[in-house]
Amino acid sequence: MLSLNSVTLTVPSAEAPLLSDITLHLPGGHFGAIVGPSGCGKSTLLKAIAGILPHTGGSIHWQGRDLNEHDLAPHELGYVPQFTCAHPALTVGENIHYAARLRLADSKQNIQALVERVQAEVGLTDLHDRRASVLSGGQLRRLGLAMELTTNPNLLLADEVTSGLDPKSEEEIILLLAQLARHTGRLILLVTHSLRFLGEYDSVTVLTQGRLAYAAHPDMLASYFGVSSPEEVYPTLGQKEPDEWSAEWSASPNELGFEVESTLEDLTERMFSDQETEIIPLPGFWSQSTTWLTRRLKLFFRDRTQTCLQGLLLFAFPVVVTLFAYQGLPAVRNMSMGSDADVVQQLKETLAFTVQSSRTGTLVSGLAMFQVILLALMGSNNSAREVVGDRAVLEKEKLAGLRPGAALAGMTAFLFLLVLVQSAWMTLFVRAVCQFPGDLLAQWMPFALVTASMTTLCLAISSWATSGEQSSLGSLYLVGFQLPLSGAILALPEFLGWGVRPLISAYWAWSGYLQTLRDTRFYDLVRAITETPLAGGQISAWMLCLHLGVGLLAAYLGIRRSDWR
Amino acid sequence: MSRRAHQKTSPSAGVWLLGAFLVLGGLGAFFLQKDTNPYRTVEPLKPSDYLENANSLRGNVYRLEGMISGSLGWSQEKGRLFSLRVSQGDKDFPLPILVPSAFREINLQKGQRYRLKARVNEDGLLQIEDMTKA
Repeated sequence: MLSLNSVTLTVPSAEAPLLSDITLHLPGGHFGAIVGPSGCGKSTLLKAIAGILPHTGGSIHWQGRDLNEHDLAPHELGYVPQFTCAHPALTVGENIHYAARLRLADSKQNIQALVERVQAEVGLTDLHDRRASVLSGGQLRRLGLAMELTTNPNLLLADEVTSGLDPKSEEEIILLLAQLARHTGRLILLVTHSLRFLGEYDSVTVLTQGRLAYAAHPDMLASYFGVSSPEEVYPTLGQKEPDEWSAEWSASPNELGFEVESTLEDLTERMFSDQETEIIPLPGFWSQSTTWLTRRLKLFFRDRTQTCLQGLLLFAFPVVVTLFAYQGLPAVRNMSMGSDADVVQQLKETLAFTVQSSRTGTLVSGLAMFQVILLALMGSNNSAREVVGDRAVLEKEKLAGLRPGAALAGMTAFLFLLVLVQSAWMTLFVRAVCQFPGDLLAQWMPFALVTASMTTLCLAISSWATSGEQSSLGSLYLVGFQLPLSGAILALPEFLGWGVRPLISAYWAWSGYLQTLRDTRFYDLVRAITETPLAGGQISAWMLCLHLGVGLLAAYLGIRRSDWR
Repeated sequence: MSRRAHQKTSPSAGVWLLGAFLVLGGLGAFFLQKDTNPYRTVEPLKPSDYLENANSLRGNVYRLEGMISGSLGWSQEKGRLFSLRVSQGDKDFPLPILVPSAFREINLQKGQRYRLKARVNEDGLLQIEDMTKA
C-alpha cells in the first residue's frame, strides 16, 4: 500500500510549489492513472514517489514504512520512464538479459528462464532476436516494461508509456498493465495525459498545477466535475483556481475516495505477507562490472561508425608521425674531442654541431611530443561522451540497483583495452619506422600512462558535463592546452613552470619518454635545444599515475551523483 | 536521509581531490627526486677553490655538473682524462676529470652535460666515482 500524506515539493527555481499538499492512499493489486493537463505535476509526482525528486514536505509511506528513512529496495520498485532504456543495437532478448544480470544474483539458466517468462508476459516472445532499433513505439514500451519486470517489483511506476502511440497500441499497453496489476497483486501507477480507456483503471488521480483535484474511481470522474464526458474535465479545471479544486476535494465525502480503514486492512495483510516476500539480492560488484563490460564490448563492435573511427585513428595517427622521419632518425656527427685543431676549425665544428642539435634535437623532441599529443587525442575520443551520452539510461540503471563503482569499473576496463591497443601500436610502429633506440617497455609505459590519464580525465569531464557538446568542448580544451603548457615547444617562465607543469600530463609523458633515450646522443641533442627541465622516469610515471587516479576519482563522484534530466 | 535516486556530491569533494593531488604529488617529488639528482646529499665543489689549491682538497668527495669540452689524454691503466666546463656564477671554469677504466662503457662526447660525484685523488685530480647525464 502506498500512502502520500500532504506531500509537497518546492524547488528554488520555481515560484509556486511543483506539488502541494498531495494526500493519496492506494492499495496493492491496483492499477491507477495519474492524469492532468501538461505541466500539472504528473511526472513530478511519480518521480517524488520513486525518490528521483526529493519531496520537501509531508511523507511517503510504502507498506507502512517511511521512504525517507527506509527507501525502496531496487527489487521493490519498477520505474518505466518516458525515454527508452533499451540499447538500440541489442536485441529484445539481450536487453532483457542484461537488465536481469545487472539486477539479479542468479545462475545463467535461471536468468535465461526469467528472460523467456518476462518476454511472454509482455508479448515479445516472437521478437526475441529483433534489434531494439527496428521495434515500433508500442513494442519499445513493452520492452521497457519487460526490463522492469525482471525483478518482479511490487510497485511499478510508468511515466507516459502510452504517449505517441496509436489508439490500438495504447489500448494494448493499458490492458497489459491492468492484467499485470490484477494477476500479480502489484500497485501500478500510470502517468498519462490521455483520458481514453478510463474503464480499465481502478482509480484516477487528477492533478492541476501541482494540486490534487480528484483521486477516486474513474466512473465518478465526469459527475464529480459536472461534465458529460471525461474529455471535458481538462477545460473545466481551468475554470477555478487549483487551491479551490484541492479544497473541494479535501472536503468531499469519504466514499468518493479510498477509505483509510480499507487501506489499513490492506496494510495489515501486507505486513504479514511481507514476511514471506523474497528479498532479491543484487549481483556482486564484480558481477555487475563484468556484465557492464561484456555489454559495452558488444555495443562497441556492433557500432560500425565507432569501430571504423577508432580503427582509422589507430592506424592513421602513427603513420602521420612517421612521415617526419620515415627514413629513420639521422645519424649524429660528434665533435672532435682533441684540442689540436685551430680556433677557426673549432668554431666551424661547434657551429655545425649546433645546427645539427637544432635539427635533430627538434626532430626527436617533436616526434616524442607528437606521439604524446595524438595519444592524448585518442584518449579524449575514447571517453568524452562515454557517460554523458547515455546519462539518462545510467540513472535509470542506478535506480534499478547498479552500483556506480561497478559501472565505472566496467567502463574503465573497456576503455583501458582501447588504451592498451592504441599506446602499444603507436610505440611499436613509430619505433620500427623511425628506428628509435632505447628500451621498448620503458618507452611504451609513458605513452600508455598518458593515454590512460587523458581517458580518465575526459571520462570525469563526461560524468560532470550536462550535455555531449559541453563534454566534447571540455575534453578538447584539455587536450588543446597540453602542447603549449608542456614546455616542449616554448619554455614556460620559471615561476609559472613550477605551478603549471605538474598539471600537464603531456609534459610528464614527454619527459618520461625522452629519459629512455638518456644513453644516446639524441638525448644530448634534445637537452641542447630545450630550456624546459626534463623530469626523471620514475617521477614522470608517478605523476601520470596521479593524474589517472584523480580522473578515476572525479569520474566516480560524477557517476555517483544523481543527474536526472 | 536522502533517497537512493537522489545522491549528491559535496561541493568540498573537489577541494579534497585537489588537495590530495598536491600532497601526493609533492610527496612523490620529494621521495623520487634522487631519480633526477642522485648526488644531492654530497657537498658541491666550488671550481675556484679547486683551482686555487687542489692539493688541500685531496681525499674529499664532491658533486659537480658540467659540460664535456674536450679530451686531454688516455691511459689503459688509469683511464681517460677530460676537460669539464663547470659554471660558477657567470663564469665558466675548465676542470680536469679522470674517468677510471671502470667507466669504459660510457661514451663521452664533447657537448654532453653530466652530473658527477668525484673524489680529489692523491695527484689532485678529480677522479670520478659515479656519473649520470644531466
